[in-house]
Amino acid sequence: MRAIMVIWLLLTALSGRAAEPLHQAIDRLIAAGAGGPVAGLSDDAEFFRRVHLDLAGNVPTPAAVRAFLKNSAKDKRTKLIHQLLAGDAFAAHWTDRLTVMLLERQNLGKVTDDEWRTFLTKQLKGKPRWDALAREMVGATGQGEARPAMKFLGTANHHAMTENVARLFLGMDLKCAKCHDHPSVDEWKQVHYWGLFAYLNQTKNATNSKDKKAYLVEGVATAKVEFQSVFKVDKESIGPRLPGGQEVAIPTFEKGQEFAQPAANGLPGVPKFRPRELLARDLTTKGNAFFVRNAVNRIWFLMMGRGMSHSLDEVHGQNPPSHPKLMALMTKEFAANGFDIKWLVREIALSASYQRSSRLPEGVKDVAADRYRTAHPKAMTPEQILRAVLQATGNTKWVTALKAPANAEKFNRRGYFTGTNLELPSSYEEVKALWLLTYAEPAGMAEEDFLPGLNKALFLMNDRMIQDWLKPKHGNLVERLTKLKTPEAVAEEMYLSMLARLPEAEEVATVAEYLKANEQRRPAALSDLAWALLTSTEFRLNH
Amino acid sequence: MNTQPHPHACHSPEHGVSRRAMLGTVGGAVGFGSLMQPAVAEAIKKTEKRVCLIWLDGGISQYESWHPLPNSKYAGPFRNIKTSIPGVHFSELVPETAKIAHKISVIRTMETKDPNHSSGVPRIQRGDPIDRGVTYPYLGSAVAKLLGPANPELPPYIWIKPGNGGFLAKEGGFLGAQYGTLALGDGKPPIHIHRPEGVSAEVDAARNALRQKANERFKAYRGASEIDAYETSYDMARQLMARKDIFDDSKLDPKDAERYGTHPLGRHVLRARQLLEAGVRFVKVNSYHWDTHGDNFNMSQRLIPQVDRPFAALVNDLEERGMLDNTLVIVMSEFGRTPIINSRLGRDHWPDCWSIALAGCGIKRGAVVGETTKDGAWVESEGYDIGHLFHTIFTLLGINPRKTRYRFKGQKLAIAHDDCEPIKEVMQ
Repeated sequence: MRAIMVIWLLLTALSGRAAEPLHQAIDRLIAAGAGGPVAGLSDDAEFFRRVHLDLAGNVPTPAAVRAFLKNSAKDKRTKLIHQLLAGDAFAAHWTDRLTVMLLERQNLGKVTDDEWRTFLTKQLKGKPRWDALAREMVGATGQGEARPAMKFLGTANHHAMTENVARLFLGMDLKCAKCHDHPSVDEWKQVHYWGLFAYLNQTKNATNSKDKKAYLVEGVATAKVEFQSVFKVDKESIGPRLPGGQEVAIPTFEKGQEFAQPAANGLPGVPKFRPRELLARDLTTKGNAFFVRNAVNRIWFLMMGRGMSHSLDEVHGQNPPSHPKLMALMTKEFAANGFDIKWLVREIALSASYQRSSRLPEGVKDVAADRYRTAHPKAMTPEQILRAVLQATGNTKWVTALKAPANAEKFNRRGYFTGTNLELPSSYEEVKALWLLTYAEPAGMAEEDFLPGLNKALFLMNDRMIQDWLKPKHGNLVERLTKLKTPEAVAEEMYLSMLARLPEAEEVATVAEYLKANEQRRPAALSDLAWALLTSTEFRLNH
Repeated sequence: MNTQPHPHACHSPEHGVSRRAMLGTVGGAVGFGSLMQPAVAEAIKKTEKRVCLIWLDGGISQYESWHPLPNSKYAGPFRNIKTSIPGVHFSELVPETAKIAHKISVIRTMETKDPNHSSGVPRIQRGDPIDRGVTYPYLGSAVAKLLGPANPELPPYIWIKPGNGGFLAKEGGFLGAQYGTLALGDGKPPIHIHRPEGVSAEVDAARNALRQKANERFKAYRGASEIDAYETSYDMARQLMARKDIFDDSKLDPKDAERYGTHPLGRHVLRARQLLEAGVRFVKVNSYHWDTHGDNFNMSQRLIPQVDRPFAALVNDLEERGMLDNTLVIVMSEFGRTPIINSRLGRDHWPDCWSIALAGCGIKRGAVVGETTKDGAWVESEGYDIGHLFHTIFTLLGINPRKTRYRFKGQKLAIAHDDCEPIKEVMQ
């Protein structure tokens, strides 16, 4: 009787869990590890701004905020999440994010940035699958529709490819394992580095003698790779092997039998044994726990502001996920759902953990970021800051339409920062370049953590292009404000436009007071007020 | 706050304490709400260790400067002159430094490895440590990380160079962009330290007060360290805006321009003195086009006096201001130049035996060290690699290069080449 009871309970529990949507499981498991009170649900305005920044890459328009605040439908948040995920802005913003994450602003190889972005955006507009994307990038040959994916492999440098595949698709920074076992991460061995290397060391660039385009081809592998630790005397060798996987035997063929296809169409012959193609296949399977875990960790980071294992390329036993059970569940379900990126993003966005306020719970002074008891403030990305500043100040339309005249001289970007070039940029392309020079990390550096800086603060405070955007013109925010009569109306329009929320009474009072004290210079005073919000912490953070 | 270590943090107590301490860099900031008291500024001037690296990009010829050998087979056309140290001679192209030879040290047996500019400059400025698969910081970034700012109002690492400036993150290497350098193009500060035209000081103060009020409201209910870090970057920005005087030539004695020279290197070393006086920890001054593959002698005749004057003037001024005991001055390149004079009357790259000049901060006064073959081509006594120089520099700055380690992604990394030692011969 008792045994039957236990089995019955177990079955109920199992079936219950199976029916539990992931976003509820997230909340259950985050709550289990919270260790103290958690913040309440964000208010509508806070949620609306956050979800716009995360899923559409920009702050919302004042009209959209007003409409959302007025909407009394119970399921309005869920509907909004679905709607944003289906939008073009999602595809564009996540193209930015995945590009910065995977290419780290290095413009390498023969595929242009535009070609790469077009390829990625097309995937993100549909049903993007992490495994399929990774397969196309790692296995890229340059042939067919997925040609732009070869940009991930850059110049086909064998060591760079090895390190990037390990870091970006396995969460393993194996750089120091090139020369010896990792000194502090016990499970990262030198053989892991060289096992991956052996998949990639036959890859090379080839230019098709007919169409003159660059392709990636593989040579004939005949032997394992040899390596030697700087701490050891003996040499070792390994064939293609994934961390945690089996070594692939390198087949031998009789001379003349190595090729599946002879040289043709201006490209060399295609060998029968193509280790990189095998890597693309075996790396990206459900069974490769490191691969799945890395994918989940990175998507979680993009939504929540920190990885469950953080830094993102330090996923190992000494830096375990903050919520191991949740990580195990998410990896299982992500794989079961076909690595569907939008599905995972949606489940995270639907969770109360994502939708929490960034305000501390009553009586709590401090919370650990990895407990997710409040929404963790995320820095806007360099691309987001520019878009948000344009949107908030009402200058998007005319600035994004700026085009340099055909005969324009090359804009001196460095001179713009030193004062030898006193022009304002005449094209949107140059505007973007100036913002990226200020806010982006140097090429090759991961953009994970919020790095405020003296130069960035000086730029937002004193840049003359931004000052120009705060002058009344082209129907921008300050021009709209000059037409409003009462301080209440000014404060409301300004706070909705810039911070995507209504002002509080005290804030209205501050606006009224400042306008009164500066009656003689009202348009300038409106600029001052807008400037103060633009440079405020609340604006800079996605909170 | 974060339970995981910050990826770039070393695990010294300063980082455990607060994020603010970690942000004492160009990229970040240290928050001191108000301007410093003059007495404090005076104390910084006297006690904090600082560095001025004068970098002659392309390679100064040792034969035409610190190691002339007029009777040897590789000699050029210039004469020897006596220096203030009996029995020691420099080239006639460095007459001002010859007068202060008793205040400086010269090492004539630098023996480094890389004969290429493209790899040599970063290799030398990173100290050429053992390869551990990471990109090491340049010397200035390393010192900024290891010592922090000398004056918390000012960025710890400023680079004065011809041409354009800006914020250059790459020199930080694995320490991260925040340890990069604020570069002053032609010695001028970045344009953004100036209030925009049409914004008066009063209006700027008023709008900053509005910003701070908004920040206080936002912060009142929130605890994330990102919030403090962002506000602090504005404090730092405003402090630098308030210290524009350190870039102001009108504050200088007109005789200074005469003593340092009106050519770019003269002006830039003079600017370096201003910055060091104000409490900038590390100033690098670059001069380009020293790569004299052709016409070495005419070029040397034109170029070498341009470093001679300001170097001597700087050493004298630092001494007069009581700063020389705490300020290290280094004059060097990525390598020296070949003994053999090529068919274009040039000298090529020569890392095998070359010279550098040093002064201050515990460098011996009047030490000219290193034995070479008679023709100056090869080292006969001990040769010093760049790693030895880095050990020397760190030791003089009070950093123990044997014990101090960077922490990066779980690795402990030596700050200088493990197999090198300080160059005792030039240390007091």
